[in-house]
Amino acid sequence: MDFLDFIDIVQSIADGVLFGTTYALLGIGFTLIFGVMHKLNLSYAAASIGAAYASLLIFAGIKAPPPLVFLLAAVCGGFIGGMVYVIAFRFIPLANPLATLMSTVGLLLLIDEIIVHTTSGVPLAYPALFSDVIVRAGPFNLRGDLMFVFVLGCLCMVLLLLLLYRTKLGLATRAVSQQPIAAELCGISITRVNGLTFVITGVIGGIAGAMTGAAIGMLSPLLSLPLTVKGLIVTVIGGLGSIPGAIIAGLLVGGLENLFQFARGVSERDLYIMILLFVFLVFRPGGLFAPSAGRD
Amino acid sequence: MLKEITALAASLAVMAASSIVAPASAQERTVKITGFGAKSGVVRVFGVNSEAALKAAAEQINKAGGVTLGDGAKAKLTIEFLDDRCNAEEGISVVRRIASTDAFVAVGPTCSNVAESLFGILQKKVGDATDTGLQFPIIADVAAKGGLAKISEWSFRNVPSEFEMYKSLFAWLKTQHPDLKTIYGGVEKDFAHSNATFGVMKAQAEANGLKVVGQSEWLLADTTFSTQVREMKRANPDIVAISAHPFTTCGALKEMERQGVKPKLLIGLTSSSSIETLQGCAKQAEGIIIPTSFAPVTPEAKNAAEQVAKFGGSADLHSAAAYEIVYILKDVIESQKIMAKPDTVAADRVKMRQGLAALKETKGLLGKVGRTSDREAIKPFLYVHAKGGSWQVLFKPAS
Repeated sequence: MDFLDFIDIVQSIADGVLFGTTYALLGIGFTLIFGVMHKLNLSYAAASIGAAYASLLIFAGIKAPPPLVFLLAAVCGGFIGGMVYVIAFRFIPLANPLATLMSTVGLLLLIDEIIVHTTSGVPLAYPALFSDVIVRAGPFNLRGDLMFVFVLGCLCMVLLLLLLYRTKLGLATRAVSQQPIAAELCGISITRVNGLTFVITGVIGGIAGAMTGAAIGMLSPLLSLPLTVKGLIVTVIGGLGSIPGAIIAGLLVGGLENLFQFARGVSERDLYIMILLFVFLVFRPGGLFAPSAGRD
Repeated sequence: MLKEITALAASLAVMAASSIVAPASAQERTVKITGFGAKSGVVRVFGVNSEAALKAAAEQINKAGGVTLGDGAKAKLTIEFLDDRCNAEEGISVVRRIASTDAFVAVGPTCSNVAESLFGILQKKVGDATDTGLQFPIIADVAAKGGLAKISEWSFRNVPSEFEMYKSLFAWLKTQHPDLKTIYGGVEKDFAHSNATFGVMKAQAEANGLKVVGQSEWLLADTTFSTQVREMKRANPDIVAISAHPFTTCGALKEMERQGVKPKLLIGLTSSSSIETLQGCAKQAEGIIIPTSFAPVTPEAKNAAEQVAKFGGSADLHSAAAYEIVYILKDVIESQKIMAKPDTVAADRVKMRQGLAALKETKGLLGKVGRTSDREAIKPFLYVHAKGGSWQVLFKPAS
C-alpha cells in the first residue's frame, strides 16, 4: 500500500462516516419506536423518503430555499408518521408481534408505489445546503453538505434526548416504554403517547429523508429498500432502543461500507456489512449500547 | 290495455332500432394490441412512455381509417397495456394471460431480464413438434440487451443495436478527437443492460485505439460514489464512459464535480439520453455524448413526439420504438391478411410471425429500419449531447 492508497482509504472512511449520519438519523427513528412500543416499523425509511418527496412536490414550480424545503419535509414526515401509526398500529392487535410487522411491510410497499405512481419513478433533483463547500484538511477533503448533515444529526439527537429527559411528554414516553400498565394506571394515555412518538419520529424521518436527498443531490424510489435495510442494521448494531447507539452505529456502518467498497469492491461490500450484522446478532445481540431491561 | 299496447310499441321500437344498429356495429371491428412492460416500480416511466406511444400511434392509424383485415373489413386499433413490474415471473404470467385471449401478438417488455426469461418459454424453432413452447409472437420495444431475439423464432425486436451505435461512436471519436488516448469506465454492475453495454463500450474503445485505464463499479441503488470517483481521479483519463441509468449517472457526475474530475469527454448509456438525466443533473451532465435512435429531427419524429406527449408520455428511443411497432403491426396485418376473428387466432398468430420474420425493411421515425435474419432491427441513429439543459443533435452518421 502506497501513500496515495493510505490517503484514499482515510478519505473513503471519512466520506462514509459523514454520509453515515443519514443512516444514523434513520436508525434513531427505528430505535425510538422500538424503545417505546417494542415494535419494528419497517415503513419508516419509505415514509422518510416519502416526506422528502412531498416537500419537493409541494414546492414544485417554486424555487424555494433549501431550509424551507427541509422544514416542510420535517412537517410532512410528522404527518406521515401519524398516519403510519393510525394505519399500521392503532387498530392492529399489538399482542401479536407479526401483525404490526406485516402491516408495516405492506405500508412500506404502499408508500413506495405511491411515490412511483406520483413521479413515474423518475429521479428528482433535491436541493442541498453547502453542497459547493469543500473543507480541505491537508490531503483530505470534507464535504460541506455532509458536515451540515452531521451537525444536524447531532442536533436532532440532543433535542430528542432533551425531549425525552426534560419534558412531561418525554417522561410519559419513558413511562409507557418501561411500564405501560403502570403508566396507564397513572392516567397516561398510551394511545396518545404512542401516536406522538410516531409523529416525533416522523419529523426526524422527514429530516433524514431530506438530508439523504440533499447528500445524494437526488431522490429516487430506489432509495426506500436499501435505506430500510441500513436503518435496521444500524438499529441492531447500535442496540435496539438506544439513541446514542443508533448515532454511533450509523457512522460506523457508513465508514465500514466505504472501507469495504475500497478494499473489496462493490460486489462484496454489502456482504461484509451483513456479516457484521450477524456477528452482532450472535455475539452481542443487545448491540453496542443495549439499554437496561425495565419493561415487565 | 293501453299500457300493454304502449309496452308492445316500445319493444318493437327497440327491436327496430337494434336491427338498424346491428349491421353498423358488426362492421365496426376492432383489433386489440396488447402491450406489456413495467408500469410500477422504479422503471415505471418506461411503461408509461411505451403505453402512451402505442396509444398515440393507434390513434393516428385510426384517424387515417384504421387497419384493413383479411376479409376486407376495416378495423380500429385499441391498445391495452399490462404491468409486468420488470419481473421475469410476472412477465411470463402476463404473456400467458395475453396468449389465452384472442390476441395474435404482444408488444413488450421493458426490461431485458424479463425478455430473456420470457423468450425462453416460447417455441424455439417454428414447426418443431417436440417443442411445446408457447407459439405466440412477441415484439420488444424497450429491452435492449444485445441478441435477445435469437432465443426464439417467435421473438422479434425493434430496438437499436447498441453494438452498432457504440462502434460508430468510437470510430467517429477517433476521427474527431485523435488527441484523446485513455478511457475510464463507470458501470452499474447489477443491471443487465448497463453491464452488457459497458462490455460493448469497452471493446469498441479498445478497437479504436483507446487505452482502458480502469473501471469503477456501483449498484443501481447506490447513494455514495466517492470511492469510485476517487479511483477515476487517480486514473486521470481523457474520456469517462458511464454505463448507468439516470439516478446513478447523476450521482456519479455530481461526485465527479465535487472531486474536480473533469475528463475531456463524457460518454453515456443510451437509456440516459432522457429527460430524467436532465431533471436530475443537467449542469453536471453538460456535454455528455450519447448515441440514440430517436430525436425529433424529422417531421414524422416531431409529430410522434407531440402525439406521445398528448397521451402523457415522453418520446425517447424506447417509446419511439413502440410507436413504430404499431405501424409495423398494421402493415403485417394487411400484408398477411390477418382476419382477427376468434376462430382464426392460431392461424393469425402464425401469419403474424411469418409476416414479421419476412420483413426486410420497415419505416422508422428517423428513416428506414433494416431487419436482420435473427429478427433484430438495424435502426438509424445519431449522437446527442446535453447542452444548456436539453438534448441536442451533435452528429448524424451516414446510415
